[in-house]
Amino acid sequence: MLDFGNFKARDCGNGIGRRSFLKTASALPFAFGAGYGGIDLEAARKLGDRAKAKSVILLWLWGGPSHLDTFDPKPDAPMEYRGPFGVIPTKTDGLQVTELLPQLAKRSHLYSVIRSMQTTNGGHPGAGTVGLTGFEENPTVHPNFGSIMSKHRGRSGALPPFFYLGQGIPRDLPRRIEGYGGGTLGKAYDPFLVSCSENGKVGIPTLDLLPGMTPNRIHNRRNLMAQLDDTSRKLDGKGVNGWNQAHHAAYGLLTDPKARDSFDLTTESQSTRDAYGQTSFGQSCLLARRLVETGVPYVQVNWSEYVETFTPNGDFGWDTHIYNFELLQDRHCPIFDRAFSALLDDMNSRGLLEDTLVVATGEFGRTPKISNRAAREHHKDCYFSIWAGAGIQPGRVIGESDKRGERPVTDPITPLMMGTTIAELSGIGARERAEMKVLDGGSVINELL
Amino acid sequence: MSFYSFRRCCLFLAGLIIVGFSSAKTRLTTDGSNKRDPVFIDGGATLVYGIDENRDLIRLKQLDLDTLQSKPYYESANRHHVEVAFSRDGRYVSYTECTGNLTAQFVIKDLQEKKDYFVKHSGRGGTRSPAFAPDSSVVVYAFAEKGPQQLWSVDMEAKNKKQLTQCEGISNWPSFTPDGKTIIFSNTRENNYEIYSMDANGSNEKRLTENTIMDIRPVVSPNGKQIAFTSLRNGFYNVYVMNVDGTDVRQVTDSEERDDYPTWHPDGKRLALVSERKGKFDLYMVEVPSPGKITTKR
Repeated sequence: MLDFGNFKARDCGNGIGRRSFLKTASALPFAFGAGYGGIDLEAARKLGDRAKAKSVILLWLWGGPSHLDTFDPKPDAPMEYRGPFGVIPTKTDGLQVTELLPQLAKRSHLYSVIRSMQTTNGGHPGAGTVGLTGFEENPTVHPNFGSIMSKHRGRSGALPPFFYLGQGIPRDLPRRIEGYGGGTLGKAYDPFLVSCSENGKVGIPTLDLLPGMTPNRIHNRRNLMAQLDDTSRKLDGKGVNGWNQAHHAAYGLLTDPKARDSFDLTTESQSTRDAYGQTSFGQSCLLARRLVETGVPYVQVNWSEYVETFTPNGDFGWDTHIYNFELLQDRHCPIFDRAFSALLDDMNSRGLLEDTLVVATGEFGRTPKISNRAAREHHKDCYFSIWAGAGIQPGRVIGESDKRGERPVTDPITPLMMGTTIAELSGIGARERAEMKVLDGGSVINELL
Repeated sequence: MSFYSFRRCCLFLAGLIIVGFSSAKTRLTTDGSNKRDPVFIDGGATLVYGIDENRDLIRLKQLDLDTLQSKPYYESANRHHVEVAFSRDGRYVSYTECTGNLTAQFVIKDLQEKKDYFVKHSGRGGTRSPAFAPDSSVVVYAFAEKGPQQLWSVDMEAKNKKQLTQCEGISNWPSFTPDGKTIIFSNTRENNYEIYSMDANGSNEKRLTENTIMDIRPVVSPNGKQIAFTSLRNGFYNVYVMNVDGTDVRQVTDSEERDDYPTWHPDGKRLALVSERKGKFDLYMVEVPSPGKITTKR
């Protein structure tokens, strides 16, 4: 037996036995260099056998969704904790969710829920970096899980290997999430940004520098190149490199018919588009499915830049410091319930869940104790994540929080473990991670597998 | 029969074949954008509602029920406006307005005197769900100042603020009976939202619903005899009607997609509501089932 890390899981809610988890064995620094734990090659080979995910979709619930009001309700907690929502059963033994998620309750056989997530940072940008990279900014910014995937898989065809769907890089008022992209791997592994409106209209911010140039007008390669060159000359030297990378990617996908078609949601049946809902998040989920169907390795769908929260021009998603219960009840949960259910159904019916890993989580949870504003604040000590698809055993509840949802009573599961599991299931084994110098010390969430 | 009357008749008949409702209904909008908080004004000729105008603005719009044409209620609005309410005489309007990062203000506008009044509270919480007393003496609303969200009242100049409830849990969605003597509202002290009634001064409280799933947004009918509300008691957001004492609960809509935000037409026979159909949110009008047709328990 080989163990990575010191993670020790509890029994699962559906009665499967306690598993022993992979721990970091005795250090063998000669294998992959200092700082990257030694590897039992036989065990690594077995782990590699688990790799099933050709692609990954991360639904990034930016802002910090309340765990008590969604996937970890506490109906027996004191009134100042439990919140106003009733609980409903699901198809999974031991899993109740709030009444705000009726469609996902009916589909719990397609996913597993972790209720013992814990992070180290209680602010949005900092926790966002931890959530997307596994590490604090200290001051080095580690690569986003998608950037690791991007480097490992490389570019294949016209489409970039790592997409961000949403309105740019999530941020709060002071600053953005620094861990949004390539980090130590370099800007070459930054995500390619694409927006998607509630009507399924796709925007490519990189092309904003090209006046009037839309996918429908990209017919003439020579004209496009001329315009790209002209725009390039107008930029200062510092900006050209980064700009060129992004524009080469944009150019590639716009001039490749197959790539271009992957952005055209109108080729979907109306019933499919309807199923996801007429929301930006819903149509972005549909676009994510189309991209992984085309072979894109990693798609991060950002819940961001929508009018949900009471912040002008805000980008705070699930950051419900005021109107928490009203927003979840009136907007966030119905939108998420519909879109995620549609994604699961659609992926499942097309056989895409066989080789696509789907993960949904935010950067932290929200305070179990209801605030003086009848809402909930940031809470880093306990939150949830949802896992479905390639290599995941669905229908499980993993980890447990205390009676008030304040802390895990089982060993905490961290963003680093999340990233390591994503990598592992994507075929980026311990050897590859060590060679890339990423996810150091991370262990696999074995109960998911 | 005028053109518009003929059109309304056609829309009504067309609505009969729309699935997902227990009663006859009419579709009023077709844009599919997210909508909320409809309320009738002008004797039922106009429906005012909130809509996601774009990703940066929730705007109030008014729908002419003859032409089914919508236009902004406040042309120059550039901040979120939600949960609009009008006084019975049409003189006052109130709503919650987003004023900055996670902050909001409660506005009372005197349309006759062209004056705006703002309700002040300590803390950064947001006001909820204004409801005018029938005689326009006070407006009641929900606010969490020091913990549990309570019902409060102020006069039409936002003065004489009083806390009406001293409840545990979260109180929300006050609605007056036409005589002004009773307020219907929801509260969470019994683990989830249930509907209660109390005298307008906060006394003599009675519980009207009892189940493990939420009952929200109660609205008293124009004749004061019925309450429309939203409930998830059948597993999904649907609209129900019951007598004002909590008896005779009737299911108005029956869909796995969402039906919410019921509001009474002044004729007392129909409700306007927001329905999600095929992922799109639009306004519909639906007939209220006759009393005595009991379809679900309290």
